[in-house]
Amino acid sequence: MTRFDSDKAAEIHRHLHAHLPSDPALRVRTLESLVTERGLVDPADLDSWVELYANEVGPMRGAQVIARSWTEPEFRDLLLRDASEAVRSMGFHGHATGHLKAVENTSTQHNLVVCTLCSCYPFAVLGMSPAWYKSTAYRARAVREPRKVLAEFGVELGEDVGVRVWDSTAELRYIVVPERPNGTDGWDRDQLAAIVTRNSMIGTDRDLRIA
Amino acid sequence: MDTIHDLGGVEGFGAIDTKAPGFSHDWERRSWAIAKNTTASSGTLDFWRHSLERMEPATYLSISYFEKWCLNNMTQFILAGDFTLEEVLSGRTDQRHQPNAPSSLQGARARLKANEVFFDRQIDAPPLFAVGDSVVTREYIDARHTRLARYARGKSGTIRAHHGAHVFADAAAVGDERAEHLYTVEFSARTLWGSSANPRDSVTLDLWESYFVQP
Repeated sequence: MTRFDSDKAAEIHRHLHAHLPSDPALRVRTLESLVTERGLVDPADLDSWVELYANEVGPMRGAQVIARSWTEPEFRDLLLRDASEAVRSMGFHGHATGHLKAVENTSTQHNLVVCTLCSCYPFAVLGMSPAWYKSTAYRARAVREPRKVLAEFGVELGEDVGVRVWDSTAELRYIVVPERPNGTDGWDRDQLAAIVTRNSMIGTDRDLRIA
Repeated sequence: MDTIHDLGGVEGFGAIDTKAPGFSHDWERRSWAIAKNTTASSGTLDFWRHSLERMEPATYLSISYFEKWCLNNMTQFILAGDFTLEEVLSGRTDQRHQPNAPSSLQGARARLKANEVFFDRQIDAPPLFAVGDSVVTREYIDARHTRLARYARGKSGTIRAHHGAHVFADAAAVGDERAEHLYTVEFSARTLWGSSANPRDSVTLDLWESYFVQP
């Protein structure tokens, strides 16, 4: 069998979808049985991976990065110049952060991130992507009608604000740097991180709310 | 190939479910963990993507993200010869399992960091384009797998960044891991979608050199 056989891949997909039990939970259990029986991975390593994503890897990492960029000008410069290095310096690097790019919102520029072709996302710094990010609707609409998409997320843009949509078509991954809200002078990094939402780092949120 | 995955600009989808969480079921978490902790014995990331794109269009649109990943990982294992189709359909294989190691969060942290993969490469060829240049994308792509999204073909844009050379997805998808210069290109929304688009809006894509009409 040729390894890079496109038509064979299509044929296997048809067989699998037609003949496996239809319940996705059973399908995943089948795959887990196969790879663990064969010794390709230890079930305990799957458990610890699930635990890692449940407790440690999530948008709180990205929020710490953003908050630090608001309080340390040198770190902000590094983040905008080489975001991969910036997140590495905080120990947040890993899956899909090797070529990370931070893009900054301004009073006249809003940034929105999408992957129209699959579901590219900077996992190690933002955690698992929300289901809507992977949905066909978001992938189809974000590039064509970003303002309508933003309105569904409750974001209304002024007339003078342009939207730049970043379609992640290669191995670069994007994180949006939202604007620091007024009324946060003197806040420390943890206080600031607490108001940075996951969606604001994807671009489906804009004006951060201070409690 | 112009398969179903190339969704940018396709119309007719409804409202976005803005509240849906990353994971809704335990099996989704397991599917994710399997995907990130196992790998077929040969292949490339781009062939993995292409293989997912070869799912039947109706199936692609109707099943969830993590079920797609599960089916595609099965497909990859079968193509690599790691499992037979019969083994996958029966869910049974020969036992080669070693005794369980204790679950280790430390190990998972290390594996996450080790997942930081780099795609930039040194090549001899100088870049043909520079920041600020206007480029026109090719109208037709004959590669089986491409990252030049349909909506951005045959369009003119402006180079906003040059990233050096990166592994070229179209070639890597057939096992040829050569690199080409990669650029971020900005297209005005009006160029892509016509005069009803907001003149302030734009879309950027990261595109390899051979996606452009050559100078």
